[in-house]
Amino acid sequence: MTPSQARRPTAWVGVLTFLVLAATWYALTTLTHTISPGRFPAPGETWDALRQIAITGYADARLHEHILHSVKLVLLGFAAATLVGVPLGLAMGASRAFEAFINPSFLLIRPIPPLAWIPLAIVWLGLGDAAKVLIIWFAAFVPAVINSYSGVRAIEPHLLEAARTLGVPRTMFVREVLIPGALPMIFTGLRLSLQACWTTLVAGELIGAIAGLGHVLYQASLDIFPAMIVVGMAAVAVTGAAMTALLGAVERRAMPWRAR
Amino acid sequence: MRRQIAALAAGITLGFATTAASAQQITEIKISYQPALYWALPFYVAEQKGWYAELGLKPVFSTFPAGVPQIAASASKSWDVGGAGSVPATLGAVRYNLLTIGITNDESYGNALLATAKTADGFMKNPSSIKGQTIVLTANSTGDYAVQSCLAKWGLKKSDVTVKSMGQAEIISAMSSGNADLGGLWAPNTYTMEEKAGAKQICSGQDAGAAVPGALMARADYARENPQNVAKFLAVYLRAWMWLNAHQAEGIAMMKKFYEQGGVTISEASMKKEFSTRPTFDLAAQLKIMRRPPGGASEVDGWFTKIGAFMQANGTFPEAPAASKFITDEYMKMVDADPKLKAFASRSD
Amino acid sequence: MSAAAVSNGLPFRRWLTLSVAGFVAFFAIWWLIAASGLVQRQFLPTPPEVIEKFVALTQSPFVGYTLQQHLASSFGRFASGFGLAVLIGVPLGLLMGWFRWLDAIVTPLFDALRFVAPIAWVPFAALWFGTGIGGPMLIIFSGAFPPCVINAYRGAKFVEPRFIEAAQTLGASHFRMITEVLLPASIPSIVAGLRISAGLGWQSLVGAELIVASSGIGYLLVKGQANISTSIVMSGMIAIGIVGFAIDALLRVLERRINARRGIAG
Repeated sequence: MTPSQARRPTAWVGVLTFLVLAATWYALTTLTHTISPGRFPAPGETWDALRQIAITGYADARLHEHILHSVKLVLLGFAAATLVGVPLGLAMGASRAFEAFINPSFLLIRPIPPLAWIPLAIVWLGLGDAAKVLIIWFAAFVPAVINSYSGVRAIEPHLLEAARTLGVPRTMFVREVLIPGALPMIFTGLRLSLQACWTTLVAGELIGAIAGLGHVLYQASLDIFPAMIVVGMAAVAVTGAAMTALLGAVERRAMPWRAR
Repeated sequence: MRRQIAALAAGITLGFATTAASAQQITEIKISYQPALYWALPFYVAEQKGWYAELGLKPVFSTFPAGVPQIAASASKSWDVGGAGSVPATLGAVRYNLLTIGITNDESYGNALLATAKTADGFMKNPSSIKGQTIVLTANSTGDYAVQSCLAKWGLKKSDVTVKSMGQAEIISAMSSGNADLGGLWAPNTYTMEEKAGAKQICSGQDAGAAVPGALMARADYARENPQNVAKFLAVYLRAWMWLNAHQAEGIAMMKKFYEQGGVTISEASMKKEFSTRPTFDLAAQLKIMRRPPGGASEVDGWFTKIGAFMQANGTFPEAPAASKFITDEYMKMVDADPKLKAFASRSD
Repeated sequence: MSAAAVSNGLPFRRWLTLSVAGFVAFFAIWWLIAASGLVQRQFLPTPPEVIEKFVALTQSPFVGYTLQQHLASSFGRFASGFGLAVLIGVPLGLLMGWFRWLDAIVTPLFDALRFVAPIAWVPFAALWFGTGIGGPMLIIFSGAFPPCVINAYRGAKFVEPRFIEAAQTLGASHFRMITEVLLPASIPSIVAGLRISAGLGWQSLVGAELIVASSGIGYLLVKGQANISTSIVMSGMIAIGIVGFAIDALLRVLERRINARRGIAG
């Protein structure tokens, strides 16, 4: 990890990169027409699309309503994935027997893409939020399990030895040794989980959404409206990054002993 | 060794060149369509019967799961001509300068609002009870147009219902599992739902008085550069319908194979219904409905103007395209004017 | 990561018994729920029904091809998308690990695009590539690309400084530094990245085949859905799962071999 002092010049380069890219984008589309508007939208068109969705609305709602809808789904999926995945991963990490028993099911479910669950989600759960959250859940619970598991495995053996020798009771063991020890990797898993939630959101909102950023992207693809697609992608990226930053803040609070 | 290979290569190239020179002038033409649809059947039949080759065309087919990706693909010139629903065709006209050069069929009956077995009778008796319900349909499609026309017929507004947009496969899943009561579908999905899930068609475009045509399209620049090929393409399509209408039994057998390739298995009765409920147009009929009186609009213009207005109201584009700008009977006229093509297009054998 | 548990793993017999028990339990629970009528039978077929349909699909074609042929078609698309991702991603990651300015330029772009799902690129794939393999390739590429870059980058960044210093003292050019110092040292990280990349790429396949209407396992899935055949849908899911698992297992073997050669505990 680069120390924060070295980060600042990098941040400026990042801003510069975006400016250069924006300028190139403008040049290639509006100035020289190297890229025709049918292929990729020009900055002007994208700005118009942004104004349209923010002010007048697009796909049955305005931008902030879409964002709220999606954030709600992401939080639900994230919560469900965490509540199931983290304890499961911890248990698998702590008990070899439990791991041996659960692993086959995990290995059977894991390689199936979330999008492939849509037909079953619809017939089992209908067109409401439950079906969408299920799709998101399938993507998000995998990193939660794997990283919680790795987190337990990474705990220094002598800490576990010590706890065992001292005869620490089960609940205290979990609360004071297992979870704090695995916490760094649990948070890595949570971060990956959150990212998976956002990327799967688009798939989830294919199931009868009436608002949401995925819904915007779907409608824009049906309208063949590339400028709006870019706006949708940007909105997903910004909101996703914001939520991840929030999670990072929670992580720092939860693990004050970790010098970042 | 190298010299021998070079000699061999030269010999083969010479052989090919000679063969090509002596062979008929065969030009490639890229044709796009969607699988397992009634109006796409002529493409299949014509290829099987070798009618493209008779006119010196070598078709390169590309299939798409829906109208929208098909239209989007035209942007990269992946196809030259093809068929699609009138709604995607209008979108194509606005976005990518696609011309509508003919009508595949009148599918007003084949685009409909269906209801599940349990709810169908209730809705049919009392259509105003549809108020407040959720309808699942595929936005920007002929199915969407049919449903909204039906709502208008019953005096309902789009805001009176909740519309959820999704693909046809998702609609079928939702309705068959009882998670949606009302759905907008097009044939043969309508028949799949009727036969396999007991759904009932409660209102079609025809019932609502909305003409839903299918469109034959060509990329504007391709048509400009290769008008002869476009005319030939039309001639083959017309001949295929002539044959199918004259040999329905054989046609249904081919339809079964064609539909199966696209993953659709419906009963023979439903397949017969496709023929009986979806009128097609021969050369004379095409010219008639596309004829524009001086300073006026053709019948086809009228259909597409309504569709354009519907799409504009949906917010797909700010302004509907003028029918006269993208609908043209120029290529149909070319078929009519050329005696060889006209005879070809009128054959039903 | 060393084995943390004091009990260094279960005895093989116990592990085997528990694994088999877990495997059986999965199918038993499935069977029970299916048979109980909790979900309509049509929408949750029993394991034997699904297996029967699966076998039937390998023998008689559905939507034009048998199951294996669909899989082969999909695998071809996956291979091209994945191959391209590796070909571009690994060198890019190494270069980013070495040239700090490149890192500064590319990383913000990466952070921006990270949340964009591969499926969101579908409309552009149709627009830019139309028909042919380009479209699906783009989708799979967008899924498989990030891990390739990230892992190559991490590998290059965390190479032992003394190796780099030694090479620099010997006057190594940039090119030689990257190919003869960074690349070999990053192989474990790169191979780990390949596993993740292949997994994500294979998963993106269903999304990639949304614009395809000719062949492919994703296409088979949608057509099964349109036919109200849950058995076909589940057979498709199982096929995707099996191949995905096989790809991962193969790469894991490769990873272990490479790590063993370097004396790193797999």
